[in-house]
Amino acid sequence: MRPRGLRVRLVLAFVLVTVIGAVAAAWASYGSARGSMVDEAQQRATDEIRRRVAAVTADLTYPPDQGALDRLRAAVGAPALVTYGSLSSAEGTGLGLLTGELRAEVRDREALVFQRVTSDEGPRLLVGTPVMRTSVDGARAPSGIEVYAVRDLTPTQQRIDASAEAAVRTSALALPLAIVLALFAAGGVLRPVRELGGTARRLADGDLDARLRVRGSDELAELSATFNHMAAELQDSVDELRRMEADSRRFVADVSHELRTPLTTLTAVAEVLEGEAQRMTPDARESTLLAVEETRKLTRLVEDLIEVSRFDSGTASLRREQVWVRRAVEDCLRARGLLDQVELDAPDDVTAVLDRRRLDVLVANLVGNAFTHGRPPVLVRLRADDEQVEVTVVDHGPGLPEGGRHRVFERFYKADAARTRSEGSGLGLALALENARLHGGDVVAGDEPGAGARFVATLRRFPREDT
Amino acid sequence: MSRSRLAPALAAAATLLTGCGIDASGVLDGGDAPTGVAPGVTLYFVDDRGELRGQLTQSSRLGDVTNAVDLLLRIGDGSSDGLRSDLPRVESLGPTVTVAGTVLTVNVPLARRDVGPLGVDQLVCTALGVRTQSGDTGVTHAVVSFTHGGSTEPGTCPAP
Repeated sequence: MRPRGLRVRLVLAFVLVTVIGAVAAAWASYGSARGSMVDEAQQRATDEIRRRVAAVTADLTYPPDQGALDRLRAAVGAPALVTYGSLSSAEGTGLGLLTGELRAEVRDREALVFQRVTSDEGPRLLVGTPVMRTSVDGARAPSGIEVYAVRDLTPTQQRIDASAEAAVRTSALALPLAIVLALFAAGGVLRPVRELGGTARRLADGDLDARLRVRGSDELAELSATFNHMAAELQDSVDELRRMEADSRRFVADVSHELRTPLTTLTAVAEVLEGEAQRMTPDARESTLLAVEETRKLTRLVEDLIEVSRFDSGTASLRREQVWVRRAVEDCLRARGLLDQVELDAPDDVTAVLDRRRLDVLVANLVGNAFTHGRPPVLVRLRADDEQVEVTVVDHGPGLPEGGRHRVFERFYKADAARTRSEGSGLGLALALENARLHGGDVVAGDEPGAGARFVATLRRFPREDT
Repeated sequence: MSRSRLAPALAAAATLLTGCGIDASGVLDGGDAPTGVAPGVTLYFVDDRGELRGQLTQSSRLGDVTNAVDLLLRIGDGSSDGLRSDLPRVESLGPTVTVAGTVLTVNVPLARRDVGPLGVDQLVCTALGVRTQSGDTGVTHAVVSFTHGGSTEPGTCPAP
């Protein structure tokens, strides 16, 4: 189970460090407190016994009799054992704890010794010492008297336990404090991270002006500055691209406009030539008619380009008027000599408020596309509800090319790479889509079951109230 | 992260809580043994050649400095075993002893003129000897203070 989220991990790490620190500190202080308390208790007990023995030795009969040993034992305080040769004087419980080891050490070291033991009754301190004889020149020798005492360390044990409990309590108190601090720290660290995320999202959503506030001079501030720099660079790049795109579009528009005037003249000349073609020799007539045809295509291409440029520059405007939709579609087909070749399925009484010219361009391009890329019969179906008008064009061709559902609307899209020269301008479907969108609608390409390609154009039937 | 690292910490805490208490130890050194028993007190006298000699008086116990000095003064100038005392016999109030720092002062009920240099050394050696035998290493010098005639300079025992 991995904890999720930076906040949880930060808090856990903080608490863990605090617990380890508190435990280590408590353990260290407890260890030193225990050591010093035990040392102090031992020191006190041995000093007390040495002092008590020394207080009576000067008045003690030597060599001692039983009475002297009893006096010494009484001075030391029970439980105690005093021996001299075969004589001994004992009082108190727990003297059985006195080990042979301790007695041997008393004789060997000729000094006061002690030993901590644990018994069933609790910890005990065993103290043993020989009583020395000192000559006038300071030389010391054992007198043969040995004093042993047993002291209870239970009070010391209780004090140590109390200090351990206090250490644990203190550690426990540190824990909630650590959690609060961790939450604060996590908030401080995570707020800039959250801001960074929010700003990155705004950038991704297209708000290229989104920037972070840079506060302080830590790593997060550095990150914020780097992020802002990145955003600025991105904005510059996007601006540059937009400028370049606008430049190229303006260039296309300018070229198209420049071409229109000579083309007008050329078209007029071509029509005159066409009228004269009947009187030409067959070779000359064929060339002339080809030139006329190409001139018309070029004129159409330039007109389409100009139209596209208007959409690109955002100057295309909608001139809505009351339109009988069926009649408008019939007029469109008739003008292009297609009325007889198209099966029209349309109710008579549909009216809409549309741009008549743009509806004409839309229908003409969809139908033209059906004839050039599909095969007849071509069906035009008109439907309408309260909200929108739907124009569907179905042909009986091979259908849409593989993966071409969206690409067919691209400018100069060639479904068949081998066919370098299309019948139309290559802009027809793109223009149809732009016109539909200008009407608040769309064109969707698909395949009609049992037929060929199907294009469905939807147009908003009436202008929106607020426009 | 949490479980794998929390477990040792908790184990350490548990060990800490259960590991309380006083553990057993071996036999440890607790310092010097007490001293002060003696079969009697050593008094200092002057021998034939005029040198100080310690003599054990079989009193079965060491006693304190006051007792030793008192005993020395009560014996007086009598002699035995070829040893004599250079101190006058005192029957009246006994001596008193005070200790200040490293200096022990013996107050004797005598006049300065009654006591010769050997008598002073007898007092100093006897007092410091008892002090040494009783295990007191703090006192190094002794002063003899007289009822009349002031007191001696702090001195040590010249006897071997």
